Amino acid sequence: MNILVFTKRVAATQEEELRITGEGQAVDLSKVPFKVNDWDNYSVEEAVRIVDKAGGSVTAISIGDAESDEVLRRAIAMGAKDGFLVETGDVLNDPFARGELIRSFIDKEKIPFDIILTGVQSEDDQFGAVGGIAAALMGLPYASMVIGIDAVEADHVVIRRELEGGLQEKVKVTVPCVLSIQSGINEPRYVSIMGIRKASKVERKVFKADGYEKGSPKIELTKWVYPEKKGGATMLDGELADVCGQLLGILKEKGVCQ
Amino acid sequence: MVEQAATRVLTCIQCGKCTGSCPESGKTPFNVRMLVRKKQFQSAIDEALPWYCTSCGACTIRCPRDVKPSEVIIELRAKLVEDGDIPVALQKALENTFVQKNPWGRSRNKRADWAQKLDFEVPHVSETESKRLLFVCCIQAYDPRCMVIPVNVARLFNAGGLEFGILGEEEACCGNEIRRIGEAGLFEELEEENKAAFEEYGVKEIVTLSPHCMNVLKKEYGDMGIKVVHYTELLAPLVEEGAIKLPGSFGKKVIYHDPCFLGKQNGVFDEPRAILGAVPDLELLEFSRSREMSLCCEGGGGRMFFEVEATYQRNADVRVLDAVSRGAEIIATACPFCVMTLEDPATEKGLAVKELSEILTEVL
Amino acid sequence: MSYTLIVAEVRRGVFEERNLDSLGLGALLGAQSVLLVPDGAYQVPDKFVDAIVKVKAAEEVYLNPMNMGRMLEAAFAAKGKPDNILFTQSSSGMEAAAYAAGLFGMPVITDVSGYDRDAGIFLKSYYSDKVFGQFKTAGVPAILTVRSGSFREFAAEKTAAAAAETIDAAAVETRTFVEYVEEEKTDIDITKAEFLLSVGRGVGNQGEVSGYEELAGILKAVLSGSRPVIDKMWLPKARQVGTSGKTVKPKVYLAMGISGAFQHIAGMKDSDCIIAVNKDPEAPIFQYAHYGIVGDIHKVRDKLKELAKG
Repeated sequence: MNILVFTKRVAATQEEELRITGEGQAVDLSKVPFKVNDWDNYSVEEAVRIVDKAGGSVTAISIGDAESDEVLRRAIAMGAKDGFLVETGDVLNDPFARGELIRSFIDKEKIPFDIILTGVQSEDDQFGAVGGIAAALMGLPYASMVIGIDAVEADHVVIRRELEGGLQEKVKVTVPCVLSIQSGINEPRYVSIMGIRKASKVERKVFKADGYEKGSPKIELTKWVYPEKKGGATMLDGELADVCGQLLGILKEKGVCQ
Repeated sequence: MVEQAATRVLTCIQCGKCTGSCPESGKTPFNVRMLVRKKQFQSAIDEALPWYCTSCGACTIRCPRDVKPSEVIIELRAKLVEDGDIPVALQKALENTFVQKNPWGRSRNKRADWAQKLDFEVPHVSETESKRLLFVCCIQAYDPRCMVIPVNVARLFNAGGLEFGILGEEEACCGNEIRRIGEAGLFEELEEENKAAFEEYGVKEIVTLSPHCMNVLKKEYGDMGIKVVHYTELLAPLVEEGAIKLPGSFGKKVIYHDPCFLGKQNGVFDEPRAILGAVPDLELLEFSRSREMSLCCEGGGGRMFFEVEATYQRNADVRVLDAVSRGAEIIATACPFCVMTLEDPATEKGLAVKELSEILTEVL
Repeated sequence: MSYTLIVAEVRRGVFEERNLDSLGLGALLGAQSVLLVPDGAYQVPDKFVDAIVKVKAAEEVYLNPMNMGRMLEAAFAAKGKPDNILFTQSSSGMEAAAYAAGLFGMPVITDVSGYDRDAGIFLKSYYSDKVFGQFKTAGVPAILTVRSGSFREFAAEKTAAAAAETIDAAAVETRTFVEYVEEEKTDIDITKAEFLLSVGRGVGNQGEVSGYEELAGILKAVLSGSRPVIDKMWLPKARQVGTSGKTVKPKVYLAMGISGAFQHIAGMKDSDCIIAVNKDPEAPIFQYAHYGIVGDIHKVRDKLKELAKG
């Protein structure tokens, strides 16, 4: 099994208050640290686990600026054989552009593969669409929200998709295919700094994104805005004991607590 | 830089003094002598075991052959870290430290938020005459329980006319716990980043709030030519000589818990006691095990960030029961980790836990 | 004909409630609404649509994104190309929408939660709802996935009864349904609880979880959690509230240390009373809560324990 796994470097915004600049032109990320996209971390781990069992190799691919090399080194430290950076300074807000770039890159460079893995979505734009678009453009079968891979055979895989309400769906997909991996599918290993340093010795190939088709943009992000404030909660204020007393009062009033 | 392979497992004579002094012995599956033995023979170990160590350092202090068993544990952990096979909670703490430079993963941009609680400005260390740096570090910068410590200490320094500055967002985690979790590479990165900042701003003296930070900055960052002290060392003479006036009264029975990284590992026993002794009307009590023999609270060595598998009576419970039997009303200590581990069981028994600066601020 | 094609989500014989949001956005878009749905005994709210296209296909065949392309082609053949195609923002909706976009070269915007009709602008979440992007599509038809709970109040009744027609669609072989897998049954079903105490990322570390178990015990609440807590395996999967876990509607939902990612909100927003405790006054959950406390959740936990025991 040759697996291509896509990994993205994203802003770690969980703990940050984000600021929109100017008249909504951009989101200021200048003081925000970056990290590997959570979903891609699970995907790389899953890719490595598949080849550990079924043989073959994992190639990590990242689309992004030169700094994205960091997530490639990380993937190599996790067990990927090598890494490709499709370098572009542009922020690709349109998932179609990303999907098209993936298709034309793999096509033009004649990169052999059996399975392509992506994360279900990336933490920044949360489109959750790149894997599906790329699959359709390449004429490959696709499944998303993959929460378990039960069997990997030469010509097919049996996977489980996460549906709503704790239900899963077992699906058979022929190989080659594209699968988008849901977080929680595995427990990704820890990647030590020493491991990343060792991985730095493995060569990562850099390809300029300009050399591939991106197609014309299909959607345009015209402005950034803050979320609309909804009605909001009645805030309980005061000393800790007082606030907690009020809370217990509400529980009693609602009849769930004596 | 910490020297690699500083341990001497081959000289171990299996005398068992390490296990005898270990706060985890007997009550948990952890047996440090056995692990040293297995390291000697390079035989396989149960991967859950190294994570019990609290890095209290008692074994290394007591070892007659300078084997440094606590460092052997770090080496065993380092192997597990390299293999990527570590408890998930620790993994999270390490990943957080990599991204945000603190194990809780809070925003680095908020590292100096505690200072907003002061009614005076704390300057950046570069703007000070003394180039005296208050090294705040993670738990004091972010944990709501421990954020009072830098606020209090800043007020006390201000009252004593002691000039100081901070690094703010430029400060990174000291790495004491990170090194002990076995993440040598990440420790090196933190060390390099902090050292570069110390050098850039010409820092001459570092005052730490946590004994854990003092330990690593003083003993494991190599010779920086910078004096490193715990804040109690700086405050003790000021309080004793009356440079900081304590007009209030604190008529309580206070028992002092020696933090491992302040006491047994760095020999600071008298200054905290001198400070408490200078508090008006305070009656100072001692634990049955105190000073070098102080019982570890189990907050070190990464144990702040995850739960071990075994269930057993925690040392913090033992400690609180001892405090109760001594008639104490308040447990005082000088380490944020000790505060965090002792507070729950103490509250259950009706005792309060106070960090030294909290008592001082109450009588300031 | 100018129309919006609404691809219904069905699952195990049920016409999913979140389809109403697609119908609502359909009404806002202004064109006629045509509903695509598999031919079967579904409770279809046909008064909200102008026409219904029924696909002669089993539910599993219909939900397969590989087949969706053929069904859409059949629908286009019957009705012409629509202006917009709406899917639900769900496991299957997202999957099919992305695939269809690739297949037909159509623009796609997922997780649409707002629409400005005058400007023709769609609102889409970024960074877990911290900011939103305003999007325009270049060319039609555009494919949109619709966030649950965003538009249902706009669904409007039509004056004429919906005309129905039936189309055929053949199934592909490259992806086939095998079976449904129910998650392991545990002793507690959080969807049946009247009072849920739910904990999130703010719990900080595993060691703190037991304190919330104790509090739940004292308050006679059932303990549940948000995705980060489940991913770390601090609570079993059966206790997860949110789109990838359970949707709950208890009398009281007490959320501690949960910031309120949309995926979580979607799973609990219909609770009768939501109380949120969080250190961050800006946490999105306060927008959905009825009562809020800004503070250290561990302190609140311990004080509640003390007072409730008292």
